[in-house]
Amino acid sequence: MVLGTEDVTPTIFWFAVGRGASVQLDDLVTVQTARPDGKVVHFYGLVDNVRKRHEGVTFESDVEDVVAGVLPASISYAARVLVTRVDPEHFIPPQPGDEVRHAQGDDLKMALSADKMKEAAFPAGLLADGQTLPLNFRFVNGEQGGHINISGISGVATKTSYALFLLHSIFRSGVMDRVAQSSGGQMTGTAGGRAIIFNVKGEDLLFLDQPNSKVTAREAQAAQDKGLTADRYTLMGLPRTPFTDTQFLAPPRAGSVSGAIVPHTDQRSQGVTPFLFTLRDFCAGRMLPYVFSDAGSSLNIGYVIGNIEEKLARLAQVQSGAGAHLLVTDWKPEENADIPEDIDFGDLEGIRINSFEQLIAYLEFKLLDENDGQGDRKWVLNQSQGTLRAFTRRLRGVQKHLSPLIRGDVSEAEASRYRPNLLRGAQLSVVDIHNLSGPAQMFVVGVLLREVFEHKERFGRQDTVFVVLDELNKYAPRDEGSPIKDILLEIAERGRSLGIILIGAQQTASEVERRIVSNAAIRVVGRLDLAEAERPEYRFLPQSFRARAGILQPGTMLVSQPDVPNPVLVNYPFPAWATRKDEVDDLGGREVQEVGEEWLR
Amino acid sequence: MRIRLDPWPVDTFEGQLTLKPFAGLVFDVETDVWQAVPTQGIPAALREVVVVDGKPRMEARLLIDDEAGELHLAAFGAYVVGAVSLCPHGSRQAELQQVRARRVLAYSADTPLEPARLSPRNPQSGVLDYEPHAFNGRQVEGPRAKVQRLMLDAEQALSQELASAMALEEGDTDTLPETLVLQDGPVRLGRGGSAVVGYVKTLHTDYLGADRIGLLSELKCGERTPILRFRVGDRGGHFSEAEGREQRFTWYVRLCEPPFYQHPLAGIMRLEMHAPEDSTFVPRAVQAVANLSGALLQKLGSKLHKDPRAPQNLIPTAALEHAMTRSMGSAELVTRRIRSHIAAAYGAGVLA
Repeated sequence: MVLGTEDVTPTIFWFAVGRGASVQLDDLVTVQTARPDGKVVHFYGLVDNVRKRHEGVTFESDVEDVVAGVLPASISYAARVLVTRVDPEHFIPPQPGDEVRHAQGDDLKMALSADKMKEAAFPAGLLADGQTLPLNFRFVNGEQGGHINISGISGVATKTSYALFLLHSIFRSGVMDRVAQSSGGQMTGTAGGRAIIFNVKGEDLLFLDQPNSKVTAREAQAAQDKGLTADRYTLMGLPRTPFTDTQFLAPPRAGSVSGAIVPHTDQRSQGVTPFLFTLRDFCAGRMLPYVFSDAGSSLNIGYVIGNIEEKLARLAQVQSGAGAHLLVTDWKPEENADIPEDIDFGDLEGIRINSFEQLIAYLEFKLLDENDGQGDRKWVLNQSQGTLRAFTRRLRGVQKHLSPLIRGDVSEAEASRYRPNLLRGAQLSVVDIHNLSGPAQMFVVGVLLREVFEHKERFGRQDTVFVVLDELNKYAPRDEGSPIKDILLEIAERGRSLGIILIGAQQTASEVERRIVSNAAIRVVGRLDLAEAERPEYRFLPQSFRARAGILQPGTMLVSQPDVPNPVLVNYPFPAWATRKDEVDDLGGREVQEVGEEWLR
Repeated sequence: MRIRLDPWPVDTFEGQLTLKPFAGLVFDVETDVWQAVPTQGIPAALREVVVVDGKPRMEARLLIDDEAGELHLAAFGAYVVGAVSLCPHGSRQAELQQVRARRVLAYSADTPLEPARLSPRNPQSGVLDYEPHAFNGRQVEGPRAKVQRLMLDAEQALSQELASAMALEEGDTDTLPETLVLQDGPVRLGRGGSAVVGYVKTLHTDYLGADRIGLLSELKCGERTPILRFRVGDRGGHFSEAEGREQRFTWYVRLCEPPFYQHPLAGIMRLEMHAPEDSTFVPRAVQAVANLSGALLQKLGSKLHKDPRAPQNLIPTAALEHAMTRSMGSAELVTRRIRSHIAAAYGAGVLA
């Protein structure tokens, strides 16, 4: 019953838990109250606090007398409810004494506004009592809102796992088809959504297409622990299978002796495609700004970068013939201070630039050495020697990191085979950048995201593209500018209408550009540092949830979506896909004997 | 000369100690030797101890004009009795029992009145039902006395209902009841034969006399005096017919050591049970109750920092009083409801 000793308001009230009943945090409850005119108002809410106390005793030491059986006292068991929905919308308070019931079935759908979502609902995890939490796909795919932001301490918050689970749920629950169908053809093609995941940590994500050998046991254990009737995948109506239709991209290994291009991965060698950019693509695609992740720090350098970017693009335009290299005619090696040893003079018409290092040498020549140290006036554009030197020094600084990625020594056929193909390849692309150094990671992410963005600008919102990117605070820090931050901001602010959905994650939302976080319609919080949880970025969490964010276990997340005014705690199943090499189920879920017999046959 | 404190706070009706000498006769029945009897612990046969108490309250004084223009006195009042049931061995939680308020419209027998039902204001805020009870005479204190009387009757009825029967004949072998009732104040006039012990928190009457009272100061915690017998209302051989046949056993128990600043009788309590008429022996059951009383009351005695009338105001009683006050509802709200009831009945605007 609703308590009368605490204030009863339309948004928060307390209720007494009857004898023999048990209520825990996150239980969903419903109350109905009658207005004086006889109309009934239903309240749906979420338990966000429960407490017990001895009633009728004055002193704390009275507990000893109560336990000794001398002092009569009753135990008061009460729970606080945050109202998530009032139907119809008469915001009167419930009446003290009104009966509070556990929300189930239709009541549960009302409590979580699932009735509003209809065909757009897809499972986002299980509630504490084993019921499915629906998430509104229209707030994910950009129709009403878009983007998902996940915060949490690394390791225990398992942000990437939850992002992958959401992708699995989106791809396999059929929600994309249902939404496409109901929008009457306008959205046809949405069903063919794609996802791009940047793997920044270990080789965790390189086995997503392999079944997980532990999932059966772990799910059976979870079902037993939580008293569920089936495993969590079954309860949510999702297949317990790894991702299908995947491709894995990895940068080529640096300094390979034979010059062969092999993916730089340690654990997985099969099925991973190396990716690289040709020198010509580098120039034509205006990738130079992404080499400088801190371009915003100096206006002059930014000016030089813009100028050189333009010059390189022109250079790429005048290239003739096939190949990844650049041919230049105005490089006079005799004037260069230190000319690279392996330079290829090629034909009489000019010099072939075959590597990133040579490109830098060419730029040094054009900016610093030509004309007795004056540089080519058209390239220098009155910039001081200091600025130009700073520019080339920085290029030299990242040369080692980018050389394996930006190549001029591959054939046209190799170039097209290894060119990263994120939007026409598989449904799920994993781009492994964990082996790359910081600047190279920034370069790859920036270049690929811009490519996706430009592609979507040309072709519109058909085929929603989900981009999963961890460590947003590195790519889009709150206080500094960078080309990648610009592209992420573009995605956050305009991507929704173009069908690019950013599933971003970070340890601390307070360190990420505010406009990126605030554009996310769906926000998820895992375990947080308690000091972090008090920052304004987490104001969408009621106080009690902020306190709880400090004790969340792996596999548990607080999910906030626009349809439901309060966040909801969910737990999500153990991955059905391998997240490490040792989890790979080589037997495909079958018994050893069965597989053995198949081989013998 | 030495100054000592009476243990009880000054805002209580009377102090704990006044000690007017008892005018009547007091007999030794247990033994001729006047010395402390040690406590013997609580035997396992005693399964349940019930503490019974009651509380009256006046809610509104009424003046009623009859057709003849004469003024009559009446009152809305309430009383509540209740019990705490506990296991003396601490094997279960103590429970409140039958704490229920009853409302009384007390009126002079010569005034015609109908039962009053005060209408509720909200679906979940209950009904006030005043049951009419007439009292004889037209004295000013009549209504209050009537409410008090009803409460005492209800208290006694409850004690009798809850207590085990107890054999008081000389040859009976049953030594101990299963359920013992501790009732606040002296035992009431009426039927004996059940295991009801009255506990008197105040020492207003001195049943011992100057030569014996010294033993009370010497009692150690849990020790008691021998059992005595006296006749209720004995004023030196003169007593009324109604009271004169009522005989009581009584003994004193010490609950705790008195602090140095209080008088030496500070932790002493007097207990009382019904006695068979003109008995020269102590029934075995009464003796058994007296033997366990020290241990039991030591266990139930309250602490000074929690209860100003400690240790005599027992822990269960304090909780019971709290529950009883609550069950009568807020006096202020009840008065308001009475006012609005009168306003509604006589057509004026709401006064509350």
